[in-house]
Amino acid sequence: MEIKKFNLLNVGVGGQGVIRAVQILSHAALLNGYKVRTAETHGMAQRGGSVASYFRFGSEVEGPLIPRGLTDVIMAFEASEAVRNFNYAGPNTFFFINEELIVPPMIHQLGMEYPTIEEIQTFLKTVSQNIYFVNANELANQAGNLRTMNVVMLGVLSGSGQLPLNKETLLSAMIELVPKKAQEVNKVAFNLGIEKGKSIGGK
Amino acid sequence: MSRPDYTEDEPGKKVIMLGNEALARGILEAGVIVGAGYPGTPSSEILSTLAIMKDFYPYLKLEWSINEKVGFETAYGASMCDVRAVACMKHVGVNVASDAFMTACYAGARGGMILISADDPNLYSSQNEQDNRYFGLHALVPVFEPSTPQEAKDMLKYAFDFSEQFQSLVLFRTTTRLNHGRGDVTLGNITQIDRDYSFDWDRSRWVCLPSHSRVLRMRLLERLELISDSADEFPFNSLKLSDEKINGTKYGFVTAGIPYGHLIDALNYFGILENVSILKLGLVYPPPKKLIKKLYDSVDEILTIEELEPFIENILKQIAYEEGLSKEISIHGKDFFPQNGEFSAELYLEIISDFIGLEYKRNPVPEKMLIIPPRLPILCPGCSHRATFYAIKQVEKKKKTKFVNSSDIGCYTLAVYKPLEGLDTEVCMGGSIGLANGITKVQPKENPVLAILGDSTFFHSGIPALINAVYNQNDMLVVILDNRSTSMTGFQENAGTGIMIDKTPGTRVILEDLVKGCGVKQENIWIQDSNELDELITKLEEAVDRKGVRVLISRHTCSLIEVNQMRAQEIIPPKILVDQEKCIGCLICVNRFGCPAINFDEDLKKASIDQNVCRGCKVCIEVCPQQAIIEEL
Repeated sequence: MEIKKFNLLNVGVGGQGVIRAVQILSHAALLNGYKVRTAETHGMAQRGGSVASYFRFGSEVEGPLIPRGLTDVIMAFEASEAVRNFNYAGPNTFFFINEELIVPPMIHQLGMEYPTIEEIQTFLKTVSQNIYFVNANELANQAGNLRTMNVVMLGVLSGSGQLPLNKETLLSAMIELVPKKAQEVNKVAFNLGIEKGKSIGGK
Repeated sequence: MSRPDYTEDEPGKKVIMLGNEALARGILEAGVIVGAGYPGTPSSEILSTLAIMKDFYPYLKLEWSINEKVGFETAYGASMCDVRAVACMKHVGVNVASDAFMTACYAGARGGMILISADDPNLYSSQNEQDNRYFGLHALVPVFEPSTPQEAKDMLKYAFDFSEQFQSLVLFRTTTRLNHGRGDVTLGNITQIDRDYSFDWDRSRWVCLPSHSRVLRMRLLERLELISDSADEFPFNSLKLSDEKINGTKYGFVTAGIPYGHLIDALNYFGILENVSILKLGLVYPPPKKLIKKLYDSVDEILTIEELEPFIENILKQIAYEEGLSKEISIHGKDFFPQNGEFSAELYLEIISDFIGLEYKRNPVPEKMLIIPPRLPILCPGCSHRATFYAIKQVEKKKKTKFVNSSDIGCYTLAVYKPLEGLDTEVCMGGSIGLANGITKVQPKENPVLAILGDSTFFHSGIPALINAVYNQNDMLVVILDNRSTSMTGFQENAGTGIMIDKTPGTRVILEDLVKGCGVKQENIWIQDSNELDELITKLEEAVDRKGVRVLISRHTCSLIEVNQMRAQEIIPPKILVDQEKCIGCLICVNRFGCPAINFDEDLKKASIDQNVCRGCKVCIEVCPQQAIIEEL
């Protein structure tokens, strides 16, 4: 199937593995024969700040950034970051959100409230009806290493049927790009994600 | 992970590369031997990728230079010997290198010589968003700008041939979205240049004293004219003409770099890609005059799309004036697009719809917003800089005064945010000591002046400023945050680690010897482990009280490096806990120290430590006045 344009925004907090996730997706898209463009957050902002990586592929993709409103999937590794980037979504956008909340330490000085998962869900439902939460941290721990959370989320994305890339190619791209001694644990994480994705996406 | 794709000698193979990897690949394919520079976002991965390539292409001679000027000079020295060479740096690094660059452009290149400038529209990791295309105009050398990773690789490879053909340096300008964006790239041949490398004893060329440089300047102007005459044939310039009209007008677009891709996306979105003319520049200076003239002859209205300054727009207007067309053709740019920041993808849709008069509906904003607190980058858990800034605050409190904390560029600049609010200035690399020289001359003595900077920053450009302070007797306390790494840009090695770019041992420069060599008296030098908080406070207090130029080296390995070392050696870090009985909820650990591993339960009014985040540095044990934070033994 020829894809003209697929737009995914992967958001999270520096250190959660956003760059690696997008690297895996890019490699998988290439293996599927597509033109690929990404834009990533490297450097200073990685120090615990908000990060956003744009991932695009298809025959009609030229620039690396995604216009607000035209994102097919927002994959959030931290729940509130999905809200921070809500404006990239339109009514047809799918959100796959890790339920984790990472409260920035400055919140006490700022006297600000942090939203709950319920508030986040209620808000995002005003943007799109396709909001899916996953406890990816728990699944990653179940796989054997919390740091496989990003791969769990890739599994969820793939299992949900919302990523027009072949599951086997995504798996082999992942295997190629994670450290050798972490391949097994990541495979487990990926499969746990796939199962979860199937259960929520229906396909 | 196996051998990275970008190192493979398999022409025709398609791989995914980060823009900076594609640039490194272009350098490799061009047969470059010498690469030098100083790390700086978004440029850092160019040289570090080349360092990985060196494992497979051992003839590469690479270095992290002490600063960008030395990096540029290192590359240029190799060019004098007929070797292809490249200098890589971020945009503000070019300011540092510019003293050498401006005159090197007079003498020109012998071996192909490219200066890569990675600009940072929107200041993702920078202190300004200067547009370095002007350095090409200023130095009278060509400016190349690629749009995609593939083009970056191909254009950079070509740039070395071009540089040798015209004996000209080339300024190769990229922006963050090119450097830090991935794309599919087809590998090309890796050229190996077979010629005898040797210095060329041509004093009339390399000795740039007035009598020589007057002649060199004439040659520089001649070179620029030759390049200008050939600009229409430049292989990465392209002109696509369309005779179609939209609402009775013929539209043309002129752009270069990252905006080109977004322009195409936007034109596709409106379905008008075939109905407009597009001039895409790969060579943004000097301009291809015939192509521009052709565009003027075929359209009525032109929109120039470029981030930051109206560089291309001004050139277009100048040419229209020279051609006597300034009345006939209407050239737009900064009257539509902003002169600051990065252009978001939807900005193209909004502005192009506005320019042509097309329908575009902005993404609606929900009626009820949910406010999310800002999440700024912060010092990492276990970061030794946090301990140092906390200690400085404690000494200020004891002395009942406020210091002037003149600071610098590095991770530690993040200490400006709450709760540390530990620095008062940051302008440029090495500027902490430089500015302190002036501040201390006039600031009342009750406000001691501190200059706070990192180890790599001190090596980069702190040294002359420190010698200046010693020589001119400018009283100050210099605090060197020695975390044994250039961390912010990706943990590059530096003179203080003594490890070279390819991870082989070089010669380590001992910081305290260097400080002494700058003329600081032995009794005015203190060295302290940053994470031993009580001792650090004692030494800081002593140093603040002393007169003259004093230096305190606050030393502890970057916590991110430490945690990786521990993981590799399978060492389990100490487990730190909050004794819930003893914690009185005073919030000192949260509101004054602010380690991201410390949480606070608003209902229980107790602090706790997130074991997934804590690195076991133990500094918070000393911070807690109730002795409620303890190590589990």
